[in-house]
Amino acid sequence: MAVERLVVADRTAFLRRPDYRTVRVLALLGVVVLWELVTRTGWVSSLFLPAPSGVLAEGLDMARSGQLLVHLVTSLERLAWGFGVGAVTGVGVGVAVGFFALADAVVQPIIAATFPIPKIALLPLLILWLGIGEASKVAVVALGVFFPMAINTYAGVRQADPLLIRAAVSFGAGRWSVIRKVVLPSALPMIFAGLKLGAGTALLLLVAAEQIAADAGIGFLILQSGNLMETTRLMVGIVVLSLLGVASYWAIGALERAVIRWRHT
Amino acid sequence: MSSTRLRGLGLLALAFAAGLVVALAAGAQTKPAPHPALSPEGRGRIKVGVLKLTSSAPIFVGVEKGFFKEFGVEPELVYFQAAAPIATALAAGQLDVGATGLTAALYNIVLGGEKLWIVADKGREWPGYPLVAIVVQKEAWENGLRSIKDLKGKRIGVTQLGSTFHYHIGNILEKEGLHLSDVKIVPLQAMPATVEALKGKQVDAILVPQPFPGAAEAQGFGKILAWAGDLYPWQIATVFYSDKLATDRARAVAFMKGYVKASRYYFDAALMQTDGHAAHGANYDEVVAITAKYTGARPEIIKLGFPFQDRNGRLLVTDIERQMSWWVANGFMKKTLPLKAVVDTSFVEEAVRGLDR
Repeated sequence: MAVERLVVADRTAFLRRPDYRTVRVLALLGVVVLWELVTRTGWVSSLFLPAPSGVLAEGLDMARSGQLLVHLVTSLERLAWGFGVGAVTGVGVGVAVGFFALADAVVQPIIAATFPIPKIALLPLLILWLGIGEASKVAVVALGVFFPMAINTYAGVRQADPLLIRAAVSFGAGRWSVIRKVVLPSALPMIFAGLKLGAGTALLLLVAAEQIAADAGIGFLILQSGNLMETTRLMVGIVVLSLLGVASYWAIGALERAVIRWRHT
Repeated sequence: MSSTRLRGLGLLALAFAAGLVVALAAGAQTKPAPHPALSPEGRGRIKVGVLKLTSSAPIFVGVEKGFFKEFGVEPELVYFQAAAPIATALAAGQLDVGATGLTAALYNIVLGGEKLWIVADKGREWPGYPLVAIVVQKEAWENGLRSIKDLKGKRIGVTQLGSTFHYHIGNILEKEGLHLSDVKIVPLQAMPATVEALKGKQVDAILVPQPFPGAAEAQGFGKILAWAGDLYPWQIATVFYSDKLATDRARAVAFMKGYVKASRYYFDAALMQTDGHAAHGANYDEVVAITAKYTGARPEIIKLGFPFQDRNGRLLVTDIERQMSWWVANGFMKKTLPLKAVVDTSFVEEAVRGLDR
């Protein structure tokens, strides 16, 4: 009995998504090389687009002289305060609003009315209230982080499985025990999504805040370099911001894997 | 899932970066749309970047009285909000002439490898000619802030770092034995914002040009501590040329002839003094009216004072050198430029020779 072998092409091949790890690295390198070439050949003046090699050299220079560290530490301090305050109050409000009907009734309309306001628009007002010092800068970052945190936490809390809550209660858990042991853990994935959103917003607002009446910080570095037409230094600031963004995304991801172990193992 | 999303992001970033490179290159390098220089009608059309301030009066006079046209060039005024962007626009080829304050940005542009030329005087801080004032908060004044020395430890608002105001306050402080680091300089980006910061008591003192100081006193929240030009005279503003215009010698000189003629007209009308008192010329009211028309300010405000400049538009060349040394000493420039890389007085000299008297 002859077996007839029929070769069939996998018609779903185009749906496969291979990883292309080398291409990813090459793409990034390619952009950098192209960028370097464009300025090296003089096609674009280095005043308008500083070469990557120049940016790197300037960055190392600034790191060696310690000024980069001063700007970075100042910015990180503001970020830490703003992010911390915003995230803690956001989670607190989110849990309260998600869990207690009365809090929901009081806070929900207020959040709905204030959330759409671009926080940058509040900066001049915050400066009037809190002065041009640290407080106004931290406050605007905190506001930017608060809303995604509160809204995500609320959604996370509402998604908690009622069956689990009832089960916990029938095992004798009290209100706080339910929040701590059932509601919060099940809201965690949403809270971390909020943290990631908040991190991007925080960077954006930090730079905006540091462009008004600051004397240190990455945003200030960018503004000052722009004012002085020192484009290479300006580019150093932008690269540092990009690295900060990548680092915060990575750090929150790592924290998420550490905290929500049951999801990843 | 996360890897596909990352790749999507990677591609997006790549496309964005490529787009950015192309856009920047286009913005910086493409030659401005065919300059109408060759059409007989537009022959000599020259784009001049100015601020709507009293200190731009000589340019306004030249345009209004047709002095530039007399020599075959027609300026087209382009208005800006701050001095530094004029230098940037000039380097990017969007302007032919800039007429404004000398900022660290301008010198840094030349250090960065672009060429532009400081060619003529367009206003000096000069004793007896009110231009920029140090205005202090009314409350601070009442609490005893009455001299430059009292500024120690205070917050001083300026528009931008590296601006003319920044330079001026730094030099005034040094003259009084203080240093820039003895005060806190607060950059507020725009002149109105600077005034608002003083009003809101977020700074103790500000440096602003007329008409802001007068307005601050009139509204009662500020007190003029001193006119900066009385304390430290310097070459605050100049006319500068793009390299393209500078190499087009005939047009560059023609423009300069019109400018020198306007400068003389302006000087004779508004700047003459006898025994320290203003002795206005016959055309004073006309110059006031022209300046009011172009700046949009009321004539009474214009009359508060015109800034001093050389009658023939000649520069204080040595001051340019001093400015660069100061910027370098204070960390706003990496190194000084040789004068001949940034100053070219040959246009104004040729123009003065070509005009009678």
